Amino acid sequence: MKIKNLTVNSIIAALYIAITVLIQPIAFTNIQFRIPEIFNHLIVYNKKYFFGIIVGVFLANLFFSPLLPYDLIFGVLHTIVSLCLTMVISRLTKNIWARMLINTIIFSFMMFIIAIELNIALELPLLESYLYCALGELAVMLFGMPVMYLLNKQLPFSELID
Amino acid sequence: MLDNIKLGQYLHGDSWYYRLDPRGKLVMSTFFIVIIFMANNWITYLAATLFTLLIVLTSGVPLKYFYRSIKPIVVLIFFTFFLNLFFYRTGTPLPPLNIIINKIIVIIYGVFVALLITFRFTKVIDRYIIPKIFKITTLVFILINILLSYGLNYTEFSWSFHWIIYKNALINGGYIILRLILIISMSSLLTFTTKPTDLTLAIEHVLSPLKIFKFPVSELALMISISLRFIPTLLEETQKVLKAQTSRGADFTEGNIKDKVIQIISLLVPMFIISFKRAEELANAMEARGYIPGRKRTSLRELRWRFTDNIYVLSFILLTAFFIYFRS
Repeated sequence: MKIKNLTVNSIIAALYIAITVLIQPIAFTNIQFRIPEIFNHLIVYNKKYFFGIIVGVFLANLFFSPLLPYDLIFGVLHTIVSLCLTMVISRLTKNIWARMLINTIIFSFMMFIIAIELNIALELPLLESYLYCALGELAVMLFGMPVMYLLNKQLPFSELID
Repeated sequence: MLDNIKLGQYLHGDSWYYRLDPRGKLVMSTFFIVIIFMANNWITYLAATLFTLLIVLTSGVPLKYFYRSIKPIVVLIFFTFFLNLFFYRTGTPLPPLNIIINKIIVIIYGVFVALLITFRFTKVIDRYIIPKIFKITTLVFILINILLSYGLNYTEFSWSFHWIIYKNALINGGYIILRLILIISMSSLLTFTTKPTDLTLAIEHVLSPLKIFKFPVSELALMISISLRFIPTLLEETQKVLKAQTSRGADFTEGNIKDKVIQIISLLVPMFIISFKRAEELANAMEARGYIPGRKRTSLRELRWRFTDNIYVLSFILLTAFFIYFRS
């Protein structure tokens, strides 16, 4: 791991927190709509953003989660598993839109990890909570697709790191 | 705006719990989440509660902070409790809910009328309003009773919802709430008494076996530390960008999806540019000071495992043994 990778990933994680704290409450009142989740699309542009995203999720859960221990374990697990799956599956195509769509679907599908968490912690019905979580995630990630695409045009993510 | 954002939950203080090794605290807090699921009857839950209370009360952290960390999930707790009440159907049923409510309401109504009558002869409130209040409350009383008797009739139709609550549902709901409160208290205690930097160090130590699989544990820990250092800086920068865009007439609270995309991009572009610039500078600074990724590094703070840490770990093992012996 190069030094620049390390610092870029750390600062991406810090940016994740900054956006959670400042932009989230101003632009979106709904808690289910976690705006920093759009950062998950960074993995599509370059695999080296892996750790930045994970550290961001970890710190966000550590600072802001009401269900602290559960979110810390299951939330981070969900991100790691989904990112790994995306990295494997997105080898199939080079098209950025297709890759982002794959990423979106994987993240939403993997929300069953969070549903299991809610089932263990609060004994909420598994299927209903899965549906809610997956729909919320799907909405954010779909919203993130054009955002990340347009951002990438201004600052090419794949070249900024390596 | 930035002043009321408190990152991390560390509270300054000094007690035996503060002085414990963060590794022990981290591992035992996680261990507690696992073993609490072994508790399944009143005696094991009582033991878990007393155990947590003992640690919480002697930790030197004021109780109001625990209340604050439980407060955000109170709504969630009650929601789950009521959901549980109506979907959990084993054990002996309690008398139908509407009969219980009915009795309570009759009592409340009786007390209320008695109060009104006493008010009639004293000068606590204006006596001309009393008939008005009496009329309204009687109307409400009758309406609620009609609704309740209507609810009772539902069971005779093929209505899936009915008013009967089972005893086990109450007990189970109570256990879920108790378990959640205990777990959140224990994990809050960890974040209240451990600085994020110490926690990072502990995570590095705990994950160090993963080094065998070439997993960059120390780099990950360093990343967390750098992140923690740069969160306040980036918060400040984000705020500047927000203000700058607002002063140019951007409105982030309104608009459809297309507007939102453009608004978010107008914030994210400068944020990313600032971040990458910072990262570049930091990378150069680290390189100039001779940081080589993957090399073994020494730490400014060394963790020390003391005798009290052994006792702390032992107490959890004893609790586990108690659970195994007394669970039904």
